[in-house]
Amino acid sequence: MFLRLVADSFTRRPKRKMLTLAALALGVAVATAALSVSLDVGDRLAQEFRSLGANLLVTPEADSLPLEIGGVDYRPANAGAYLPEADLGKLKTIFWRFNIKAFAPILEVQVKANSFGGDSLVVPPPGPAYTVIGTWVKHEVKIPDGTTYVTGIEKTNPWWQLKEGRWFAEGKNECVIGKNLAAAMGTRLGELPGSGGVVAKDKLKPGSTLFTYTLNGHLGPKLHVVGILDTGGPEDNSIVVPLDIAQSLADKPGQYRRLYVSALTKPEDAFGRKDPKTMTPAEFDRWYCSPYISAIALQINQELKGTDVRVIRRVAEGEGTILTRVRTLLWLVTFAALLAAALAVGASAAASVIERRTEIGLMKALGAGSGLVGVLLAAEQLLVAFVGGGIGYAVGILLARLLGQKIFGFTPEPNLFLLFIVLVLASLITLLGSAYPLRRASQYDPAPILRGE
Amino acid sequence: MSDSPMFWRIVRRLITANYGRLFVILLALGAGAGITSALLNLQIDANRRLTTEFRALGANVIVTPRDANANSSGGTLDQALLTGLPAENSGKPVPAVAFLYVIGAVAKAGEIHHQPAVIAGTEGQGLTQVRPGRRTEYSAELEKDPAACEIGAKAAAQFKVHVGDSLHLRNQGREATCKVFAMVAVGGAEDTQIFAKLATAQSLADLPGRISLIQLSVTGTPDSINRFISALSQRLPTADVHGIKQLAEAEGKLYNRISGLLTITVIIVLLLTSLCVMAGMSNVAMERKNDVGLMKAIGGSVRSVVRLFLAEAILMGIVGGLIGSAVGIVGSIWLGKTVFGVAAQPRWIVYPVSVGITTIVSIASAFPLRRLASVRPASVFRGEA
Repeated sequence: MFLRLVADSFTRRPKRKMLTLAALALGVAVATAALSVSLDVGDRLAQEFRSLGANLLVTPEADSLPLEIGGVDYRPANAGAYLPEADLGKLKTIFWRFNIKAFAPILEVQVKANSFGGDSLVVPPPGPAYTVIGTWVKHEVKIPDGTTYVTGIEKTNPWWQLKEGRWFAEGKNECVIGKNLAAAMGTRLGELPGSGGVVAKDKLKPGSTLFTYTLNGHLGPKLHVVGILDTGGPEDNSIVVPLDIAQSLADKPGQYRRLYVSALTKPEDAFGRKDPKTMTPAEFDRWYCSPYISAIALQINQELKGTDVRVIRRVAEGEGTILTRVRTLLWLVTFAALLAAALAVGASAAASVIERRTEIGLMKALGAGSGLVGVLLAAEQLLVAFVGGGIGYAVGILLARLLGQKIFGFTPEPNLFLLFIVLVLASLITLLGSAYPLRRASQYDPAPILRGE
Repeated sequence: MSDSPMFWRIVRRLITANYGRLFVILLALGAGAGITSALLNLQIDANRRLTTEFRALGANVIVTPRDANANSSGGTLDQALLTGLPAENSGKPVPAVAFLYVIGAVAKAGEIHHQPAVIAGTEGQGLTQVRPGRRTEYSAELEKDPAACEIGAKAAAQFKVHVGDSLHLRNQGREATCKVFAMVAVGGAEDTQIFAKLATAQSLADLPGRISLIQLSVTGTPDSINRFISALSQRLPTADVHGIKQLAEAEGKLYNRISGLLTITVIIVLLLTSLCVMAGMSNVAMERKNDVGLMKAIGGSVRSVVRLFLAEAILMGIVGGLIGSAVGIVGSIWLGKTVFGVAAQPRWIVYPVSVGITTIVSIASAFPLRRLASVRPASVFRGEA
């Protein structure tokens, strides 16, 4: 009989129930969409922030002071310490290995260079000295667990973009030239006929050949220019080559001097800023197992011996503040959405109870106790909450997918835990919304209601 | 309208007949209006604030000598350029700092063994803004010293100095001393440098009145920063003014993403909030079936009945909107403070907009009443609801 009464109230007046259902479904949809975007967006935004480039810099610990101005190190090649390239695979073995998004070693060396057009057989005399940057592009790193990982400078420094041509291939004598250098250096096309020694020059472009010499004039490898680089920084005046070529030019096989690491991190809060040395063991464990940038720096330092791992503050802190703010803002919006949903649902629940006074009066006249009436109405409301909540969840997930796709080009995964939360919320709000009218309804005196007063 | 007093009397009765219902309606509309105005205000404020937040990334515009390239360290600029820079962009001050780099020999005062290091002479407002980092040691008192200098964390470790120690600087026979007032960790080449007064670096380098470059931290949307750069390059024909590509690209991308995310989320939340309020209100309105039946029975035309309810809806919308929006705007000021640490500025345009939206929502919620026009009075009285 109880079930029949509940079922009847749905079939007899479907329109009214549809309206309550719609209010609930809409409310839950807002809540679901906002919640699933807020839950996901932090991670997505953190990924986006990697376009700012590396946030960790690894240098040799026992190094002499680099004399770096505008990206050029004025130390002689034999001064200062180097780090072994072979160790780099260990980066993907640290506790937060999956948060290491990319890394690229850098070895800079001063080299004299000159160029002739085409595939000339004539070797030109050594030209002025230039900075050669050796690094990785799509390099396969061997990880100690037997797998390989592909990474390179394009990922750590996404603003290193090619204006023309392509990146060099590893293991070949190829190079990429900074755009300013390409314009300034030029290729000698040879003497103009009959001009008496005037030399025609052309901009260096993909296809040109570059001859390299050590600083004391010994001929080095012959490099094919395959691309023109535009970084907006000091690299625009440099020659970028595969790391192994820079190593052979510097006579430092298997070594590098600087490593850029791009890691996904959690914005540092008050706890993350604490000095790990002053922490209790329990605090230290919690800190070590949180992807704070300082914790990741420590883990890298433990794997790569003899290094000094520094946080690139401008990137790490800029990212931290902005991420925290955007996240708070989104939670606020989510909260607003929840509030609106709660109110709408509460209002319709209240209305649907008020409207059924006659029915309640009749039930009580027939001998139903206040408790039974309350339970009956509450059961009805709960049923509405579950159906409406389910529909709302589905709509909300669709909405969140649409949102995610529009803004980030990704689709948030449906989260079953969220369904649970949303259903609980919906039932709670419905019950809360109908609690007061229900209480009043169960106290109704049947006689005046039945008389129509 | 001849029945005007009667009309308003009925409207008044409709509104005040049931205080519980009135409360539910006002609460729903008011909350809707509050959320609308708070979110709109916060959204406008956040977009503006975001550009300020990006300045945590440091300098984004750099002025260098036109003929400078990596191999001619000789290229310098006139120091006078620093004073001629625009003081603000998008209503925010533009910190600008001039740098002159010298490679000199440095030692802790009293020690004989000097090591080469980069000395950066700086002058201008806002070194900490163009070169964000974390000061691990700092003394405000020592900063006032005319020969104060700041040292990068790595250089400090190398020279074994702390705040309060003095450094001896030397370059080709010219000498200077400075007192360390801060130690800074930046995470770049700056960690190995010593930041002294510009005049000190100029005398060490024997380049009086010259600077290597100027770094600026310009606040604004990506477009506004680009306009700033092109305007400045026209004003400084001798110098090369360019944005730092690393920041410019990332900032532009992030700004668009975040502001897009906020805008879309806010729009969707507003839309659904309206729909929610509407659905809730319609539910309340449907309850009016009996009233409609009665009015029709005593001779009210459909039009006048609908007009009655419309007048009620508009009144409720305006009242709920006025109260709710005011609360929302005040709330957003406080919310802005919790999110950005700075109180959000109330935008007055938000107020009429959200009152308008609320009124529209309220009218739209009364719309199902039109369907009641087909209500047959007799069936209402018989109780066949």
